[in-house]
Amino acid sequence: MTRAIRVTVNGVAREVEVPVYRTLLDCLRYDLGLTGSKEGCGVGVCGACTVLLDGKMVSSCIALAVFADGREVTTVEGLAKDGRLHPVQQAFMDLGGFQCGICTPGQIVAAKALLDTVENPTEAEIREWMLGNLCRCTGYYKIVESIQAAARQERP
Amino acid sequence: MSHRIVGQPIGRLDGADKVSGAARFSADVTLPGMVWGKALRSPLPHARILGIDTTKARALPGVLAVLTAADLPDVLVGRRMFDMPVLARDRVRFIGEKVAVVAAADPDVAEEALALIDVEYDDLPAIIDLAKALESDAPLVHENAGAYEGAPAERPHPNVQSVLRFKLGDVEAGFREADRIFEHTFRTQLAHQGYLEPHAGVVAIDGDGRVQVWASNKMPYRLKELMSHALRLPKEQIRVNLTPIGGDFGGKGSLMDLPLAYHLARVTGRPVKMVMRYAEELMAGNPRHPSLITVRTGVTRDGQIVARQVKALFNSGAYAAFKPVPHVHLGGVSLGAGVYRIPNLLIESYCVYTHNIPCGHMRSPGEPQMVFAGESHMDMIAKELGIEPSEFRRRNLLRDGDQLANGHHLEHVRAKETLDAALEASHWSAPKSGPWIGRGVAMTHRHVGIGFTNARVRLEATGRVTLLIGLPDTGTGAHLTLRQVVAEALGLALDEVEVELATTDVFETDSGVGGSRVTHTGGRAAYHACEKLKQLIAAEAAKLGTPGASLATIAQAAAREGRTLEASYFYDAKKHAAVTSFTAQVAEVAVDPATGQVTVRHFTTAHDVGTVINPNAHQGQIEGGLIQGLGYALMEELPTEDGRISTLNLGEVKLPTVADIPPLTTVLVEDAVGPGPFRAKAIGEGSISAVAPAIANAVADACGVRILDLPITAEKVYFALKKKEQRS
Repeated sequence: MTRAIRVTVNGVAREVEVPVYRTLLDCLRYDLGLTGSKEGCGVGVCGACTVLLDGKMVSSCIALAVFADGREVTTVEGLAKDGRLHPVQQAFMDLGGFQCGICTPGQIVAAKALLDTVENPTEAEIREWMLGNLCRCTGYYKIVESIQAAARQERP
Repeated sequence: MSHRIVGQPIGRLDGADKVSGAARFSADVTLPGMVWGKALRSPLPHARILGIDTTKARALPGVLAVLTAADLPDVLVGRRMFDMPVLARDRVRFIGEKVAVVAAADPDVAEEALALIDVEYDDLPAIIDLAKALESDAPLVHENAGAYEGAPAERPHPNVQSVLRFKLGDVEAGFREADRIFEHTFRTQLAHQGYLEPHAGVVAIDGDGRVQVWASNKMPYRLKELMSHALRLPKEQIRVNLTPIGGDFGGKGSLMDLPLAYHLARVTGRPVKMVMRYAEELMAGNPRHPSLITVRTGVTRDGQIVARQVKALFNSGAYAAFKPVPHVHLGGVSLGAGVYRIPNLLIESYCVYTHNIPCGHMRSPGEPQMVFAGESHMDMIAKELGIEPSEFRRRNLLRDGDQLANGHHLEHVRAKETLDAALEASHWSAPKSGPWIGRGVAMTHRHVGIGFTNARVRLEATGRVTLLIGLPDTGTGAHLTLRQVVAEALGLALDEVEVELATTDVFETDSGVGGSRVTHTGGRAAYHACEKLKQLIAAEAAKLGTPGASLATIAQAAAREGRTLEASYFYDAKKHAAVTSFTAQVAEVAVDPATGQVTVRHFTTAHDVGTVINPNAHQGQIEGGLIQGLGYALMEELPTEDGRISTLNLGEVKLPTVADIPPLTTVLVEDAVGPGPFRAKAIGEGSISAVAPAIANAVADACGVRILDLPITAEKVYFALKKKEQRS
């Protein structure tokens, strides 16, 4: 069984017909060609697939595409504006907040959501917010530093 | 020596694709007409396959192919020892072994088809327990393992895969000199690398009949050879296209599903993608070997080690195929000697076949196991002798000119300096701030990796330089480091150097990424290629006769005469340098007596390093390795019940999160004597191995409880505390 859904992805209205069991992640990656969001654990614990659904973080590997019908999705591909990286993206580059880059789209989307919610998060707030985004490369120190640096930047 | 670009803490300038989501990892590769492959795996640890009925699966709409071993050439695969079938032929040997594979345009249809395949098994007795596998009447995992291609000759028991032995002096005579002898046995757990990119690959057979491969594999040239072997195709017919790798930590060097993807591509005529689910990673990846290690050490009354004997058993699982080294063992076994001069030493290590998940390499293979055993043992001896643990170590540390059991000759030994740096930075001797708080120290050292790398540098008409290299980036930032080497060597700005990744068509060979070799072999290959390019540029400039001509002018002048200024270099390091890098780490922990929970209050890591090319990337390696060590020490585990791994959900494996990281102090003891470019050493595997014993020693210091098996969970500490209470 399939269903046609309308979803605004990174500001662009999209219409796509999906099987009802299609995950939002597979829909983004394979139906819409947005492969920035990654599948790690596939069970909603690693955070590599984190996207924003109406501004709220979700694990797109355990959300169904049909849930996004009529809603707005923001992925890592939608954060740069006019060719300029989002301050969080820039900070991750400047400070080495990533290594292999596979968890990075999820980390960056989660960090953006944090800075949208809390303007100047403390280190404890960063650690609590980012708990659901695993990283096996960095040991997290430089992720925390990157988010702190981004928080100090002016944001769009 | 001062440098312009080497030593600058440059961020990940190469990472715009990774932070923007544009980077294409193997699972992101999509080709026209591409279909998905999915594998069916054995639910039993040991069984005969009586029959496989694929009729219903083939009939499912959307299914393009279903293959079993009967459809494949009778070939065994591996990295050095070739003992593993691509699909189980008549017998399965572990839970998770592949028995059939399906191709369908829709991955969900492929999964559905798997459920329609009917396999009839005849259950056979399985050998799960490591020690039992070596009993005389143990069931055999393989009838005649010695006959496999690449099998080591020594086989004291049919279930032994390989034996590795290191010997110095006369260990029996050494024990006779000892005033006291101590013996302890340690266990370590099965551990997954935990990269967040499961194995993924795409295989396509192009119009010329060439096999095009995109894979999360860190050794593209070796992969080409192994594919050639597995598919019985000439090497030239296979091309590996490099993609970024989503974490490796030793685990991304095997074939995994690639031969199956090829066979599905062959029969369907379509490109085929196969991506392992994380549950498949956990049941059938190639994790770190669990171990059972007994260390026996003889010491004199004043704390001098005179003899040590180590016996190690590694539970290798059902196949040896994932081990990449010719001895089909774990090189880290030599660290049974620790960082100490031990005149009489015998290390004997056995990799043992069982009906468990086949193990492979993980960051510093064999070392965390041996170092946990050795460094816990050191503290236990020190306590018995009444010598302060750092002082006991100091009395036995390696010195200049010492010969290691693995044949390495050592110079520039900075063991004492590294230990002192860690002790000082951690305020080792300062009073502790309360009860139930303890400090522990542990040490290790590691060689700089060897191997061979091809590099080519080309002066472009723009005056910029392109470095062509066949090394994928597993995440370390190696490509940026190599750019720094080229920029430094040629006197260019960093943004005047670009890296271009070579497919396996470009060079003859390359040892790929791994074993802490990339900065060394890739860096030296790039550096020497630059030296050659400089000569070409100088000759061209002389011909031009215009003093001070720009590189662009020189390149354009050469181009007008049909020449490209480019130079290649093949760097082949066959022998280890006479230097290693020492690590000394101090953990300060608090133990909660009510629950047994261990909290690391502070961690200090000191490293003896060469020239640091990129301090940011260097520190990233230290931090990442250290937190992997922390997970191994305290939480990560893949418990098995009757051969079945019971934590098939990544959440249950308990990788460290951002909430678990302790305050960290890093100290670098710089000594620019490495074999790498600009005298660099290696760092990638330096910070992981001593973490667990440092924590175990700190726990013992905090509460008098000695945990001999990893991980050091709250439960173990709690019950050990209870037992201690009952005794007193």
